[in-house]
Amino acid sequence: MKEWYDKIKEAQSVENLEEIRISVFGKKGVLAAEFAKMKTAPNEEKSKIAKELNTHKSSLMNEMTARKITLQTQELKEAMKAESIDVSMFSVSSEAGALHPVMETMDRIVEYFSAMNFAVKTGNMVEDDFNNFEALNLPKYHPARDMQDTFYFKDEMLLRTHTSPVQIRTMMSHKPPIRMIAPGAVFRRDYDLTHTPMFHQVEGLLVDDAGKVSFANLKYILEDFLKYMFGDVEVRFRPSFFPFTEPSAEVDISCVFCKGEGCRVCSKTGWLEVLGCGIVDPNVFKAVNYKDVSGYAFGLGVERFAMLIHHIGDLRSLFEGDIKLLEQFQ
Amino acid sequence: MIVTRSWLNEWIDLRGITTEDLAKTFNSIGLEVDRIHSYEIPKKIIVGKVLECEKHPDADKLNVCKVDIGTSIRQIVCGASNVREGLDVAVATIGAVMPGGTVIKPVKLRGVESEGMICSASEIGLEECQNGIIELDDSIGKYEIGQEVCTLATFSDDLIEIELTANRGDCLSIRGVARDLSAAYDRPIKETNINEDEDRRVGIGRILSLSHENGLDVNLRYRAVDLKNLTLPFIVRLRLAQIEDTRETDIEALMLYVTHSSGVILRAYNYGFFCGENETMAKVELKKDENGYASIISNEKASTVGIIQEDASKVTYDEGTVLIEASYIPPDIISKKMQESKMESGPMYYRTSRGSEPELNQGLNFCLNMIESNSNSSVFGGTIELCDSYEDKIVSVTKKEIDEIIGAEIDKVKITKILRNLGFGTTKSSSENFVISVPRYRHDITHKQDIVEEIVRLVGIDNIPSKPFIFAESSKLEDDYFEYKKRTIYRHKAAQSGFFENLAFVFDEKKVLNGYGFNTTEEELELLNPIVNTFDTLRPTLMTGLLKAASHNIKNGIVSVKLFEVGSIFNPKRDESLKISFLFSGDTHKESLANAGKPQKVDFALFTQKISDVIGEFELRQYETSHTLSHVYQCAELLQNGEVIGELFRVHPSVEESYGLEATYMCELDFVKLSYGLKIAKKSSKYQASFRDLSIIMPEVMSYEKVKGVIEAHATQELIRFYPVDKYRDESLGENMSLSIRFVLQSFDKTLEEDDITSSMDAILEALNSELGIGLR
Repeated sequence: MKEWYDKIKEAQSVENLEEIRISVFGKKGVLAAEFAKMKTAPNEEKSKIAKELNTHKSSLMNEMTARKITLQTQELKEAMKAESIDVSMFSVSSEAGALHPVMETMDRIVEYFSAMNFAVKTGNMVEDDFNNFEALNLPKYHPARDMQDTFYFKDEMLLRTHTSPVQIRTMMSHKPPIRMIAPGAVFRRDYDLTHTPMFHQVEGLLVDDAGKVSFANLKYILEDFLKYMFGDVEVRFRPSFFPFTEPSAEVDISCVFCKGEGCRVCSKTGWLEVLGCGIVDPNVFKAVNYKDVSGYAFGLGVERFAMLIHHIGDLRSLFEGDIKLLEQFQ
Repeated sequence: MIVTRSWLNEWIDLRGITTEDLAKTFNSIGLEVDRIHSYEIPKKIIVGKVLECEKHPDADKLNVCKVDIGTSIRQIVCGASNVREGLDVAVATIGAVMPGGTVIKPVKLRGVESEGMICSASEIGLEECQNGIIELDDSIGKYEIGQEVCTLATFSDDLIEIELTANRGDCLSIRGVARDLSAAYDRPIKETNINEDEDRRVGIGRILSLSHENGLDVNLRYRAVDLKNLTLPFIVRLRLAQIEDTRETDIEALMLYVTHSSGVILRAYNYGFFCGENETMAKVELKKDENGYASIISNEKASTVGIIQEDASKVTYDEGTVLIEASYIPPDIISKKMQESKMESGPMYYRTSRGSEPELNQGLNFCLNMIESNSNSSVFGGTIELCDSYEDKIVSVTKKEIDEIIGAEIDKVKITKILRNLGFGTTKSSSENFVISVPRYRHDITHKQDIVEEIVRLVGIDNIPSKPFIFAESSKLEDDYFEYKKRTIYRHKAAQSGFFENLAFVFDEKKVLNGYGFNTTEEELELLNPIVNTFDTLRPTLMTGLLKAASHNIKNGIVSVKLFEVGSIFNPKRDESLKISFLFSGDTHKESLANAGKPQKVDFALFTQKISDVIGEFELRQYETSHTLSHVYQCAELLQNGEVIGELFRVHPSVEESYGLEATYMCELDFVKLSYGLKIAKKSSKYQASFRDLSIIMPEVMSYEKVKGVIEAHATQELIRFYPVDKYRDESLGENMSLSIRFVLQSFDKTLEEDDITSSMDAILEALNSELGIGLR
């Protein structure tokens, strides 16, 4: 019997083990033969032999099962090993597309102001002189028109130079109070390394009762907004001039590249100009026939935001559908 | 506007204020600092006096000079043409390290020893301001022979360039900027008072008479001078170089210097221009020219006030009588006029259109004082002038209004002080009401908010505490918002389906577009001033932009190009509408192990699949596009819920070729027609669905649309879906092909049995046979 224990231990495969099982437990197997011998054994020994044989039978069975599990596990392991692959070869890049960083930045801006209960308003790109200039306190001879070199059409219409006409149209068709932003494409006749003839703006306007809207309110929302967009930056307001607001200010953030130390991007000043804003000029309200109101307005360039946030150096690359740039935003 | 510290210091005492602090103040009061430059003159550059100056024995262009440098006398060889005996010069002595890094050593020049270098302005790090070496004079203040040049304030100066906003013409002069600083620092402005000894002078009235039309809104003032031996002082040359401006003659350079200093517009006239033949009296006439501009005229036009001076009336001589004119014209009048009928303008127009200094004597006296102290000229006594009566504008504002606009309480005393320092007159009619008279040079100030702006900028916006705005609740979810949201949703879907978002200009090239059969903006509505001829019209489609972007990418080595854009296009009437367009070109995927490095090329089936990933289910119908971008036989109109919403096609092979593209597919859809809104869930059956495939033999030229129509017309209600799954043909089929269609059948009441399915299929087969003459293989 002893040899069979060894054989089970030495069995090298499940099939081999099965052969052993048949040799031991089969009808013509060793155990059957041993039990048969019992018939000829003296009666007084029969029970002892039977007991021994039964012990062997169950031990061998246990050995058998244990060995089978070992062998099965081993065989599964080997089968899996045969299926092994070099996973490092499968480090793939995404096949997904991506949103344009300018549009995605615009989405984030809209998201902020929507959460602040500003309505989103849009309008046409082709505009007239009244909505783009006159109503915004920019009469024809105003020197500030030089700042916005304009695309004109032969019928004296023009491509809007800012999204402010949307605000004029909204005020003409709605009663105050107004809380709105106008996101969209705008046009200036300028094309070089730092200017494109089309770019995107988001402008905001808030109008409420006279005496209610103050510069301090404007300061509050823009500081909060810029921190939402750029993270932990310092915000600085500089008095400035726009025909449609008074008082007016330009807003700077501490340079996101050098943390205000001074670098090439911020021209060594430590500050980056990102916004224009102010208290709405009474002449604008006069043009839309609003009485006894006060308001603030602001405007920003989306491309500039996107470039600063994502550290994109070349403005023109934004308008080339350049997949090498875009796929970084997957 | 360029200012320097030393120049400003002539108008306001800047002691104790660092340049850094000055720049910070400029920014906070709304004069944005563009650039700061500090001049650093090297050490060991010393003021010297040329005692002797003789020609070099062996070189025509060199001179050998004996120069007193205070401690000793040195022999220096100098090549400048203006070196001469008696000059005070800047000498780089032995050991001086020049801005370029050169160290001055004793040298022999053509055999003559030279112990140092007499310097030009650029050699010591200044702007080049005269031909040759610097000629020092007392215009830079007191100095001594032997003194280091870097200890002189004019040389170790700081230059600040300010970007002025269009409303601040009053700051287009050193004096104007000093006035703003005076309010910021609460320090007085230094006014120059020149006392004239009128008695010993010949009156100007003897040589000049002025006549004028009325109602021209112009202020003019004339003085006259007999010019003799004018030398332009060094400081004028240096500062004009610093502000990067020059004039052809010394007298004009002087006028420019005075204008930049005082803000008053000055002109020098050739006296003879106004005198008739054999006449000793000059006649100046002020009247409107043919275009209505206020002009100075003798027999011919001498100048247009505020705009340009004619060359013929300019001073071209060094000795003789010169008329000096100071003028002021309100900026709104002149810019309005310019808008009505444009004319060529001179270099002063920028200042006059933004508002020059109306207090003419400020500039005129300064100018004559400079002429007298730098020449042997004699000045005529008195002035001839034409001045309108101007009353200061009055603006009243209450303290409450100021506080409300700013959103903080501002101290009354502070308000008064700021306004006074800026030159405003203030009286209080009551304790809470300011009545403010606005000086003429602040033409930009007309109403209350302008006054508040002045207070805001001088209080400093950083000193105003931020405050949240309190508002009443109201829903802002309106149509425009939903439209924006819809765009965002589709853009996200497109990106997730593998397309990259393109952003192109709305401009495109008319010739190219017309060549492809697109109708562009009507001629009378067309762009008047396109920026380049490849952007000379508004785009009628997004597709050409996508093709250009695809081409750009292929050239950059990208082999699989998937792009989309949501954007505005314009019809010939210039009406704007929103489209969404897609382009898929080249490989279906990136090269990878999955495709053994050989990805397939995009085809019609894959492209339509990709589009439906973005927009959902749709149908295609054979179609012919109105433009020629499309492949004639792979072109469809796209329908959703029975409505045509756009087109989908393979790009015409010759178009592909011209953009350098492989097989390329495109789709352009009306964005507004894409579905957006809440979906309604359909009831679904709990019973198992059954599938049947039928292989139909049909002529290859027969449209699937026909087959589809017949099946739809004869379908039982259990047929919930059917779609082609395989197309097969071989020679044995002749002109026919075998199309396998998979039918999905399902009932709401039971699991369908074989009989139900068969009868359903039979009905369809019968109809196909009777209506189209086609059937099973």
